[in-house]
Formats: sequence, C-alpha cells, structure tokens
Amino acid sequence: MPRSRTIPRRVLMGVLGATAAITLTACGGVKTTSSGGGDGEYPTGNIEFSVGASAGGSTDLITRALAQGIGKELGVSTPVINKPGANGALNAKELQAAKPDGYKIAVQNASLFTITPLTVTPEEATKIEDFDVITGISRDDYVMATSAQSGYKSIDDLKKSGKTIRYGTTGVGTGAQLASALTFKSAGIESTAVPFDGGAPALTALLGNQVDVSTMQIGEGIENIKAGKLVPLAVFSAERIPYLPDVKTAKEQGYEVEVTQYRFLTAPKGTPENVKTRLLDAAKKTFATPEYKQFNEQNSLTPMEVSPDEVLKALQTDTATYKEQLNEFGISLTG
Amino acid sequence: MDISPILNGFGVVLEPTNLLYCLVGVIIGMLIGVLPGLGPGATIAILLPITYGIDPVSAIIMLAGIFYGAQYGGTITSVLLRLPGEASSVVTVFDGFALARQGRAGTALGIAAIGSFVGGTVSIIGLTVLAPVVAGFALDFGPPEYAALGILGVLLVSAIGNGNRLKAVIAACVGLLIATVGRDTFTGAERFTFGSLNLAEGIDFIPIAMGLFGLSEILYNIEERHNQVHSPAKVGNVWPSRKDLGQAKGAIGRGSLIGFLLGVLPGGGAVLSSLAAYAVEKRRAKQPERFGRGAVEGVAAPETANNAAATSSFIPLLTLGIPANATMALIFGALLIQGIQPGPQLVTEHPDVFWGVINSMYIGNILLLIMSIPMVGVFVRILRVRPAILAPITVLITLLGAYTVRNQVYDIFLVIGFGVLGYLMKKFGFEPGPLVLAFVLGSMIESSARQSLLIFGGDPTGFLTRPISGTVLAVVVIVAAWPLIRKALPRKKPAAVPGDSDRVEEKTP
Repeated sequence: MPRSRTIPRRVLMGVLGATAAITLTACGGVKTTSSGGGDGEYPTGNIEFSVGASAGGSTDLITRALAQGIGKELGVSTPVINKPGANGALNAKELQAAKPDGYKIAVQNASLFTITPLTVTPEEATKIEDFDVITGISRDDYVMATSAQSGYKSIDDLKKSGKTIRYGTTGVGTGAQLASALTFKSAGIESTAVPFDGGAPALTALLGNQVDVSTMQIGEGIENIKAGKLVPLAVFSAERIPYLPDVKTAKEQGYEVEVTQYRFLTAPKGTPENVKTRLLDAAKKTFATPEYKQFNEQNSLTPMEVSPDEVLKALQTDTATYKEQLNEFGISLTG
Repeated sequence: MDISPILNGFGVVLEPTNLLYCLVGVIIGMLIGVLPGLGPGATIAILLPITYGIDPVSAIIMLAGIFYGAQYGGTITSVLLRLPGEASSVVTVFDGFALARQGRAGTALGIAAIGSFVGGTVSIIGLTVLAPVVAGFALDFGPPEYAALGILGVLLVSAIGNGNRLKAVIAACVGLLIATVGRDTFTGAERFTFGSLNLAEGIDFIPIAMGLFGLSEILYNIEERHNQVHSPAKVGNVWPSRKDLGQAKGAIGRGSLIGFLLGVLPGGGAVLSSLAAYAVEKRRAKQPERFGRGAVEGVAAPETANNAAATSSFIPLLTLGIPANATMALIFGALLIQGIQPGPQLVTEHPDVFWGVINSMYIGNILLLIMSIPMVGVFVRILRVRPAILAPITVLITLLGAYTVRNQVYDIFLVIGFGVLGYLMKKFGFEPGPLVLAFVLGSMIESSARQSLLIFGGDPTGFLTRPISGTVLAVVVIVAAWPLIRKALPRKKPAAVPGDSDRVEEKTP
C-alpha cells in the first residue's frame, strides 16, 4: 500500500516541479540583489525592468529589446516584469516608491505625463518630477486612416463631405484621441469619437467600415496601408515620417495639430549619478547595435535617443500645448 | 486554388528542426496550461528573446505550439482541480469536475483530448481552405453584433445552470455588476474603485475564477471533512469507453463547427464558442438534467469548441494583421522582430511562413494527442493524493497563478476574497458558473453597446436594422420566450404518461 502511494506522489511532484520551474523563471526578477548602488560597483545584481502594460504591446516590446541589450552590456540579468494597471500609473507609483539604486527601472510613456493628467484628478496624475530620466528612446507616431472604399484622401475631403465623421480611437486619454479631436475641431468638422480598447479593435472597426476613420499607431496600420486596404489621411508629427514618406502631416494640410507618443527610460528620483551614467552608456551602446536599429524599423519607431533635459523639455512643451489647445477649442477628452 | 505552396509548407514543417521546435512548443504549452495564471501570453513574452536567434518559421511554429498546447493543459486543471485557467474553459468545469468526482476523470480527460484534436484539426482544415473568406466575415462583426452576441451569451449562461433558475440569474447579475468595476473606458470616470489604482483597470478574470471555483471548493471540502470521512476520489477507467465516444460524437462534430466560426471573431470568440457549444448540446439532449452532473457531451462540446476557436483565431492575425487576443499580439510581435509583417500581404510575400505555421498545427495537434494518451493516466493519479496534501498544493497553485497575471500581491487577496464569496455562494445554493461567465460577457456587452450607440448617433433602432445584429437579437427573443412557447405547445398533445416523458422531451427541443 505505501508503495502505491509514493509513486503517484512522486509523479505529482515531478509535474509540479516542472511548472514551478517555469514560474520561477517568470518571477526570476522579483528578488533582486539590491545590496549594490551608492558609490560602489554597479551593477552587482539583476536589474529589473517593470512595464506598466501587458506583454505584447509597444511599450513591452521596446522594454524587452532595450533590457536585452543593456543586460548584455552590463553582464547581468535584466528580467522584464509586466505590471499593467491604470494605464501605467500603477507601475509608475511602484517605481516611484522603489529604492533609487538602479536595480528597478522602467520605460515610461510620454502620454502618461502629458495626456493622462488631462483626464484624471490632479492627485492621481503622475508627475515626471518624481523620476530621474536616463535617456529618451523612440517616438511612436500616430496616423489617421480611412478605408479605401470611402474615397477620402485628405482631411479636406472629410470636411467637404459635410457629414458627421465617426472616428475610432485607441481609448480615452490617448494621443490618438487627442490628435483626432483637435484636428476635427480646428477644421470645423462635425464628429463623434468612438473609443476602442487599443489599436487592434480600432483597426478592425475601420477595416469593417464600422467607423469612417481611425487614428492609431503607425505600426498598427502600416501593413494594411501598404496593402492598399487603408488610405492614410495625415500623420501628426512635426515632419513627415520616413516609414510613410508620402503622407502629409496635419500641419502641411493647414491644421496646427502635433501629437506624438514617445518613450524614455526612467529610474526612481535620487538615483546616484554613477549608476545613471552606467545605464546611459549601456543604453547608448544598445541603440547603436544593428539588431536594435532593425527592431525600430520593423516596429515603425523613430529613434529619439536624446538627453534627459530634452525629454523633460518635450514633456513640458507638450503638456502646455495640449492643455492650451483643448481650452481654446473647448474640448473635453472625457466628454 | 494552387496547392503547391501548401505542400511546400508541409515540406518546411517536416524538417527535423521544425518538428523539434513544434514538439518543444506543445510540451511547454501543455505544462504552462496546467498552471493557471501563467498563460501562454506571459510564457511567449519570456521566450521571445530566444526566438531572435532562430529561423522565423521555426520560431513561429514553436510559439504557436505553446499557444494551442496551453489549451490542452488548461483542461487538466479544470477537470481535476476545478481550476479553469481561462475563460473559455469555465464551461468544462461543470461536467468535467463532476465526472472526476465520480471516478471518471480519465473519461473526461480522454474525451477532452480527442475533442480537442478533432476540433483543432477541423479548424485547421477550415483555416487552409477558407481563411480569406472567413476573414471578411470577421470584419462584418462590428460593435452592434458583439453587443447582440454578448446578450445572447448571458441568456445562455442563465440557461446552462443546473439548479435554481432564479439563483442563476441573481449570480449572473452580480457578475455583470463586478464587470463594471474600474475606470470607465469612455469617460475615464471611476466606478467602484474606491480610489484604488489596483482596481482602475477592473478585476481580471483569473482572480475571480481561481477564487470562486478553486479556493471555494477547498474551503467547502474542509468543512465537509469535519462532518464525514472523506475518501480519496476513486480513479476508475482511464480511457473513455466506446459508449462514451458514441455519446460524445455529435457534440464533437457540432463543437468543431461552432468553435471554428466564433473563433474567427477577434474579441470574445473562444468564450462564446464554448458556451454556445455547451448550450446547444444541453438543448438537444434527451435528458438535459444530466448536464452539470457528469455528462460526457458537457465536456466534449466546450473543449472541442475552444480548441477549434483557438486555431481559427489565427485567421484575423494571418490575413488581416489583427491580433485577436494578447497571445496573438505577442506572436504578432515575434513576427515583426523576424522582419515579417502579418497582414493581408503575408500569404503572397511569405508563403513559407503562412503555410508553415498552418501546417505545423496539423503536426502539433497529432503530437498533442499522442502525448495526451499516456499523460491522462499520469494526471489522473493526482486525484489519489490525499486531500490533506493536495488541497494546500492547489491553494498554492491558485495564489501563484493569480499573482503571475499582473505581478501584484493585491490579486492574491482578491482570490481569497472571491474564495470566501464562492464558499458562501455554495452554502446558499448559488453556482459560480453564471457569475463568472456573465462577468466575462458584461464588459463586452457594455463597451460594444456604447460604441454602437456612438456609431448610430444615439439611435437604438440601428441594432435591429443591421442584418447580423438583428438576426442575433431575434434569436435572443426566441430563446428567451422558448419556455413559454414550450408550455403552450404540448397542450395540443395528449398529456405525457410518466414512462413516456423521455420521448416528449425528445420532440420538443
């Protein structure tokens, strides 16, 4: 009897052991050796990259590409931990409270600091002053597109149609929503926003002619644009985007709308200078690798590998401009 | 149709390295499927860097293997431990766990493996032949259609419960209410978040399902054991009998079709398909009261359907460039890293990838079936472990699973909270199934209905004038009114003699 009992138990342990091993790899970064930091040698242990979004999104993919490069440069493990929630605010809050020793860092989105504060209470808004910026990473621009059957070729065509334009966005408080709302309002086009949960459903609705236009990240729409199923109407960057060289910016078409999403590497406030320098060096070396450059191209990302000061300046300018424009046109993003 | 690229695809898959990657993928998938929480999405994210170095086709074959292998693995915990790892396997729990308690876990797992194989294979054939056609069908489903389907889903939820209909409706309403927790995605307004950022994005499915199904069962058993000596579950036959197979045959066939069609819809297709397949079987059954008490069809139908749906959810990705769920988004990301843009041009620009992936699924499904046969015997033995040992391990898996979804300790407390709620529900005769399923469908109904009204400019008649949503809503009305119609019908026939009741049942559905 005892014999027959031990066998299944061993089998069970084997099964559980295998699953536990996988879990451990998954949570491998939870226990970081955070004895380093300060003036000593850095890094002496794993550097954890937390992501305020689920696995698979742009922020996640960029974090993983960067973490891999930095890990290789510094010779340590760089586990990526996804902490989705509240559009990245939950992760930001945890990072803010973490020890500023360089063992817990995160790639964050500009929109969390420039647009989200326009949709939530002041207490809830995440402030850039609570973090040290290490470097800018890349820009992820927006494109407004319509389906090929609609016959529209530009924003003016939408205006001439004289009908109420229903536009899909990637959600409330996103750059896609802001860019579309500003464009339609300043062009005097009657419009209704239809928020979707991310780029994929906004794209689906556009392809299925459920909405007249959708604004999404370039990487989400580019393949259907190349295939001729979607017609791009405008991009919202200051200059044309190399990935879509024939598409006019909103500015070229006479609308003062410039909205971009960009990402940068952050650490908790008060991270020592030597740690920041090490991280910056490793990031720069990663940016220079052909693999990383290829990654940017494949995901339609434009490098924005600028200094922390430039990131801060961009954030401040954008926040002020967005606020001013929303007031000027009387737009409420949460309407 | 030029079939040479398809045949070349088989050539690609049958290369020994690719076969190996396929095997590795399905094994990893099956193992992570056993652990709820750490789903295929997270696993693929972890393994993504490994794929950079290998050939694109091999990489995708492995990742796809993880995805559908996890569907197989998820069944095991649903049946043995009452832990549905994904929304699409909630329905399997009803009859799967009941069968396990009767010592027929092997039957349940065996039927599920066969059903999954058939469903997967039928779906791949559909994918091979019909992908471009069906992709268009997916685009016809806009927000109004999803709203209508969601309503039909909730109606089915209240119908599949086994006990008191009123209690099932109450539980479903609570599920709908829980679905409203979180920041409103249309206005950004906070709803029932109590100022906590942890609740800002609402509650995830995993903590709810782990608590209401897994933990509550354990709590309830502890109490039971004080009252009576609990003998470990008997483990009878390890393989389904010919009779079981005969019973499940129809369910597997219909489940394959339902799963394939609904799986194409990006967003909610897999859940709806398992629910619809179960409801169809229950309606067709001669003795619907067997369902929920260990009906073989009750396992066969949803398991076949969710596997078929998992396979056909590749259609929107490969033909339209739309990732249907988080896992698909990762496979999309993996393809991008390899320099391949999934989308309308994939089949012409990279036929080797397109057909390689599809054909690898035929092989992967066969590998999974071959592996499942001996594995069923192994897994079933888990039930022989004494509850005093098994229960704490199950609790550990449950809590760990919930933690890995967002890496938040908060979610562990949510599981415990829902575990207590589930225990109380059981004490008072409520079933967790309707609550969990209504929760899943609730957010889909709300956002789709609101998107629809924005599209219609506020005119609700739009739901009725669009052909697909109108038809679905008509079905909703018929299903809702069915009990009344049924009551009206038999009056024309002679009153049923007691022994004759079976035959009457047979005619009415």
